[in-house]
Amino acid sequence: MAGEPESDAAVVARVLAGEIQVFGILVARYRPAFARYATAMCGDPDLAADAMQEAFIRAFDGLRGCRQPERFGAWFFRILTNQCRNYRSRWGKHEAAEPAVLVEAKASADDALMQGELRDAIARALDQLSADQREAFVLRHVDGRSYREMAELLAEREDVLRMRVHRAREQMRRFLEEQE
Amino acid sequence: MTGGWSIEAQRYLDGEGPPPTDADERARADAFLAATRGYATWLRVPGPQIDQAVIEAVGRSGGQAVRRSVWRWLVESRLVVRPAVAAATVLALIAMSVGLTLLTRPPNRPTAQPPVEGGRGAGTGTVLVRFELDAPGARTVALAGSFNGWSDSAITFSRSPETGRWTVTVALPPGEHQYLFVVDGERWVQDPAAHAQVRDEFGQTNSVLVVGPRGVVRS
Repeated sequence: MAGEPESDAAVVARVLAGEIQVFGILVARYRPAFARYATAMCGDPDLAADAMQEAFIRAFDGLRGCRQPERFGAWFFRILTNQCRNYRSRWGKHEAAEPAVLVEAKASADDALMQGELRDAIARALDQLSADQREAFVLRHVDGRSYREMAELLAEREDVLRMRVHRAREQMRRFLEEQE
Repeated sequence: MTGGWSIEAQRYLDGEGPPPTDADERARADAFLAATRGYATWLRVPGPQIDQAVIEAVGRSGGQAVRRSVWRWLVESRLVVRPAVAAATVLALIAMSVGLTLLTRPPNRPTAQPPVEGGRGAGTGTVLVRFELDAPGARTVALAGSFNGWSDSAITFSRSPETGRWTVTVALPPGEHQYLFVVDGERWVQDPAAHAQVRDEFGQTNSVLVVGPRGVVRS
């Protein structure tokens, strides 16, 4: 019978006790969980990779400052969000024509073109949002998280986040209609 | 048609209500959801190559004993020594640090992230470089350099509450970079671990770091 996965708090305690390599458990646990979010927030997969690496290293450096190790994920998420904001402001946002976040479609040329245009439009619409709105929209619609999960990650009330997502959709709709 | 989403449409977009009764509104909502799903599906996300790179980086930095450097004494002195004796103390310590730094320079300062995927950074052609400074008396430390327009606030260090060591990791493109540490937002100081210090056209002495495509060449 396979044992239950080790809790975040237990892993953090082992790392702080000197088992540095065990930090890999947290990396393997939260890299997949937040990779899509990081890419959408940075607007580029390579920037997202750099931001994630830096966020994990910062988390390791500041691990003793994680006051609720059982909530390591939410703590790391805030570090990652700050890194994504920094990288985005320093290195740019989605390219207008063919964003690097997109890969070739395995569909007909017309379908691929149409899909590519739609995705490009969404990417550029995301660029128009404030950082708070973008975070909320990406978590809800790109990551597919519930408002409850979002409230946990962002330490915000659900109704506040719901309003943020609504306003993000309003702004994106206006932007998309201007492009038509 | 222009205008915002109806309350009905917002509920539908949240997955918490039936489709809007207005056909045009429903078509727009469905198109919006489809485009968003397409965007999410086609995002290329960072893969497991990150995991090994992070573990190698923290394994190299985290297991080492923290050195109490001459630089730490110098920075502490500049922060706490009273003005009457500060000048003589600082001059003496500078003279001492120039000699001792050569003998005691930690081999990993600054250090480069191990190459990922053919020796490059995570795909941007950049290399992750880690900077460290022992300055337990400092309130803030920032990194300013030729790579960020010499901004004194854009790249901030994190501090270990126990060791007082300040660290930051940044992605730098290959090439020669000049930089300084900004302590408490007002003191611009050189990195004692840098392999070279150069005077720029304004008479300011800067630390120098050379980054190659596979890591730090000289630090």
